[in-house]
Amino acid sequence: MSKEEILKDLSDSVINYKLDLAKSSAQAALDADIDPVLAINEGLVKGMGVVGDNYEARKVYLPQVLVSANCMYAGLDILIPAIPVESMKNSKKCATVVVEGDVHDIGKNIVKTMLTAGGYMVTDYGKDIPPETIVESAEKDGIECICLSTLMTPTMDNMKKTLDILKETGYRSKCFVTIGGPPTSPKFAEEIGADHRDTNAQNCVRWLKEAWE
Amino acid sequence: MKEMTHIERVTASLNNEKVDRLPAYPIACGVLRKLLKNGEITYKEWCDNPEYFAKSFMLGQKKFGFDLAIGLMDLSVMASDLGAGVRMDRENTPFVDKPLVHCLEDYEKLEVPDIKKGRTGVLVEGTKLIADYLNGEVVTSAFLEGPLLALSQTAGAERLFMDMFTEPAPVHKAMKVITQYDSEIVSAFGETGIEAICWDYLWGNYAVLGDSEYAEFEVPYATKLNKQTVDDGMTLTVHNCADLPHLDVQVKQYKPALYSMAYYPLIEESPSASKVIEDGYADNCVIGGVVEPQLFMRGTVEETRNATKELCQEVKTALCKRGLNSTYCISTGCEIPPDINTKMENITAMMDAVKEYGRMDDV
Repeated sequence: MSKEEILKDLSDSVINYKLDLAKSSAQAALDADIDPVLAINEGLVKGMGVVGDNYEARKVYLPQVLVSANCMYAGLDILIPAIPVESMKNSKKCATVVVEGDVHDIGKNIVKTMLTAGGYMVTDYGKDIPPETIVESAEKDGIECICLSTLMTPTMDNMKKTLDILKETGYRSKCFVTIGGPPTSPKFAEEIGADHRDTNAQNCVRWLKEAWE
Repeated sequence: MKEMTHIERVTASLNNEKVDRLPAYPIACGVLRKLLKNGEITYKEWCDNPEYFAKSFMLGQKKFGFDLAIGLMDLSVMASDLGAGVRMDRENTPFVDKPLVHCLEDYEKLEVPDIKKGRTGVLVEGTKLIADYLNGEVVTSAFLEGPLLALSQTAGAERLFMDMFTEPAPVHKAMKVITQYDSEIVSAFGETGIEAICWDYLWGNYAVLGDSEYAEFEVPYATKLNKQTVDDGMTLTVHNCADLPHLDVQVKQYKPALYSMAYYPLIEESPSASKVIEDGYADNCVIGGVVEPQLFMRGTVEETRNATKELCQEVKTALCKRGLNSTYCISTGCEIPPDINTKMENITAMMDAVKEYGRMDDV
């Protein structure tokens, strides 16, 4: 298969929800000595971008997006370990996390998917994570944008606590912080000192791209 | 117009007749536990004890003078009794932290639990006590998780949505079991004297499901339960606090007497109160919405009062333009945060503002 055909397979696997094709074409890319970064960006991420656009246009819905994302991650699991460390140095690093006291993580996972599709290196810290742990992990990993999420009102305070600890440690000046989740608002983001609040994962990625320009 | 009783007002509104003022129901449920025993009852105690649960609604009615009473507990009752792990923090809404479905076969293992036991038993008994305490004073309603919501809570939403798309057969099998579970609860509610059931059909929401997915995975099940609700002598009402609700199905097709919905001004196409009225959804159904629930925790009395005033004015104008008398209930779209720090004085502010700015005899 040509390089173009493999890249197309990678993209199509995500667009058409083909898990096996995502895995086999990712392996085919490595076997053909295609740069894994190129395979990710021009294959998997390109396909996820199409799905994201279709979701925004309401041509597909959350079940399809989740299945596409699953395909993308399956391909990434094969391609990412093959990327030379040097090649990853310039990638911006983001972290997604649901704050302590909450385990609702669909919104966070969609943001993670769209950030990945946007070309960022995303570390998912998971759900129900204490503010101290978020900050410690972000500092250790050199995270440049922390995306905090919660669905529940009582746990919004743990967003504030995370921001407060970031300020105390001095790491706040080294990273963006964006928040999301139904109970949050731009006013709340401003109150707690976050940079941004969004309800739409793709808008969040657009905001981040502009912020980094 | 002379001041109506709560029941007169709501009954008139349900029939689009003239009212003294718009009906009002801030969805205050868990937060009302603060009225029990000097605020010493924890959330866990409240939702584990039918007497506490029901008494809080009775005390809330006494303090605030709502026009309705809706016995919402939380959205993990059914999942809990189906066997999912539910975390009950001292002062937070209980939520599922250990979903039950880990593989496709797990859908087929779900069984209807004994509804007289567990948290369902508490909900049914608490609902009966609400009816005992408040029937005759306000229109009373039970609150029940729709089958797709209950399954998503049990299975884990992300897992369920993917399986709906890739492996629908076991999902449908589980939906049948959950629908049977819901059906048994409806029958039990029918014996309590409660006057209505408010169904939470959250996933009828264009941010999550398209028309075809919703039509396949909830509409047939919900339609059956809606019919049973009415057949069992209760009024059908629906709640959906999602951002982009399937209004054509949930209002025009289901035909609830009241539809409670949220509004997200920052989300494009999220329908405002006036838009919903303008588009005809209040023609044959009382729409309940939307003073922003976060105001009750983070806003001031003045901000709550102003938001309520603005909503009343918006609604009155829209109703008038549409030629409607009263088919809107000033509500909150979502539950008022049941947080220990929620400001009870803001609930009073909302109710006072409706009494002042929701008057319909000046329209």
